[in-house]
Amino acid sequence: MMKEENAKGTSLWKDAWRRLLKNKLAVFGMIVMAIMIVAVIVGPTIIEQLTGYTYDYMPSDQDLIKSMPPSLTHPMGTDDTGRDILARVLIGGRISLMVGIISTFVSLIIGISYGAIAGYLGGSIDNLMMRIVDVLYAIPYILIVIVLLSVFGKSNTPAWIKSIVDTIGGGQGMSQIILLFIALGAVSWLTMARVVRGQVLSLKNQEFVMAAKATGVTTLGIIFKHIVPNTLGPVIVYATLTIPSVMLSEAFLSFLGIGVQAPFASWGSLAADGIKNIAIFPWQLIFPGVTMALTLFSLNFLGDGLRDAIDPQQRKF
Amino acid sequence: MLQFIIKRMVIIVPMALIVVSLTWGLVRLAPGNFYISEKKLPDAIEKNIREKYGLNKPVSEQYLMMMGNIVRGDFGSSLKYEGQSVNEILARTVPVSALIGILAYLLALLIGVTAGTIAALRQNSGLDYGSMAFAMLGQSVPNFVIAPILVLVFSLWLYWLPPARWNGFFGIANLVLPVVTLAAVYAAYIARLTRAGMLEVLRSDYIRTARAKGLSEWTVVYRHALRGGLMPVVSFTGPALAGLLAGTVVVERIYALPGLGNVFIQSCLNRDEPLILGVVAFVSVLIMVANLLVDIAYAYLDPRIRY
Repeated sequence: MMKEENAKGTSLWKDAWRRLLKNKLAVFGMIVMAIMIVAVIVGPTIIEQLTGYTYDYMPSDQDLIKSMPPSLTHPMGTDDTGRDILARVLIGGRISLMVGIISTFVSLIIGISYGAIAGYLGGSIDNLMMRIVDVLYAIPYILIVIVLLSVFGKSNTPAWIKSIVDTIGGGQGMSQIILLFIALGAVSWLTMARVVRGQVLSLKNQEFVMAAKATGVTTLGIIFKHIVPNTLGPVIVYATLTIPSVMLSEAFLSFLGIGVQAPFASWGSLAADGIKNIAIFPWQLIFPGVTMALTLFSLNFLGDGLRDAIDPQQRKF
Repeated sequence: MLQFIIKRMVIIVPMALIVVSLTWGLVRLAPGNFYISEKKLPDAIEKNIREKYGLNKPVSEQYLMMMGNIVRGDFGSSLKYEGQSVNEILARTVPVSALIGILAYLLALLIGVTAGTIAALRQNSGLDYGSMAFAMLGQSVPNFVIAPILVLVFSLWLYWLPPARWNGFFGIANLVLPVVTLAAVYAAYIARLTRAGMLEVLRSDYIRTARAKGLSEWTVVYRHALRGGLMPVVSFTGPALAGLLAGTVVVERIYALPGLGNVFIQSCLNRDEPLILGVVAFVSVLIMVANLLVDIAYAYLDPRIRY
């Protein structure tokens, strides 16, 4: 019995995979993302080995403390203090991708739990929970996130975040990043909750749920062990599309100076640094900006491709 | 329908108050105080400040006082822009942001609907792929990257347009770059939505009937298809408005425009509580009213929807 289900599951995913590979743009997005992820993980070490530059290494030679255009040693040039921009873009990419992925994960946990519970319980509880979501949709989140980050940022970090930072290290910059995860995750779960609820509604009356009920599985057990795993397809699709939008929000906040802060860097904060010198040293803005745009471009294509592959019925031609 | 509108309008008030309370809670929960600065204030002055802003009263009383004032539309005076009431600041900055936002949305509609319709009519052609790739690009390039590149090209290399600053409501040259920057993302979204909506409508029976009647292609598209095909765009207007607001924050900062976004960021960094609450209350009500209008428009455009 178990085996049969597995075999069917595999073929379903294999089918989706085959459809995905047919979509050239999605494959392009997948390849770019693979390269990008490998690059931000191993890139900084390779650069250090080759040129001796880390993301915050400033040369001691006076002649090198200036913004130099792209060259063989510095493919993206250097910034005002002579730091290698490529190394900074890669380290910034680590933070940007991390914020995108972790915040999306936070929103997944909230959205899935909320949507699954509402959909499964149904009736007036479902009605109430979804009405709350409708109401929350109308709130201008970006304002609240800005308020949250600016009043709790800087020196006003709440104690419990401080204690997390004390154990993992990273100081003030890290606590700002943790605030970002929470803030962005907490505001991007609404659509996920709706997607999951819709799925649960169509699943909850199927035989396997009845079978689980008959064997005495608890309600929470049915929701999280039997129903939620079956909503995975749309959830993956939506998560892939949430990552770029969260990354864009992170960049926007960092650009305004209330997101990721020194000594950490993200693509948004690098762009904010670069914009000051746009007329004289355009490479300071263009390289972080283009890298970020390329990443978002790929993620969007990959997400669209996944949607078409996993859920062909939902496909908009 | 009327009942629906009234119900929704009644809900707006408590909703806005919830948002304001949440914001107030956040500002108050943060450690420290707005009057803490680099220098420690003498005790007597601190005591005066606490008395002046009612900070020596219990928190519940402060909350009720704040809510009472906001319900009456009196947001008080800014703590940092001295001698200016929040209402004055709103009256000065909102028109600037509104002008840029409205122009940007109109431009985005014009570009997006045109591109999306053409893409749908010529599905799978080079024109379709080209405009959709371009739309995806517009959706992926952050506006703070678009803006400086536009400035670099049109102001610093070509000398066609001024790079920044506000030159009054009729300083059109100064408005071009901010509006184009802000419109880019929305044009991209609208193009994609229009294409998807139009493709669906163009396959429906009533379009076939219209074609069978021998109507010209222009009439079929313009009179019949667009009305149904633009439904997704109409429902996108609500989220778009909220997004435009975030967009104006960046655009106003880059182009140094005296709008609401700039003031809001500044007030958050200053911890200017009355100003923060004033902006949040104003914007929340604005967005909720806009969402209501969108729903009404939706029902008007699609006779199948009844509230």
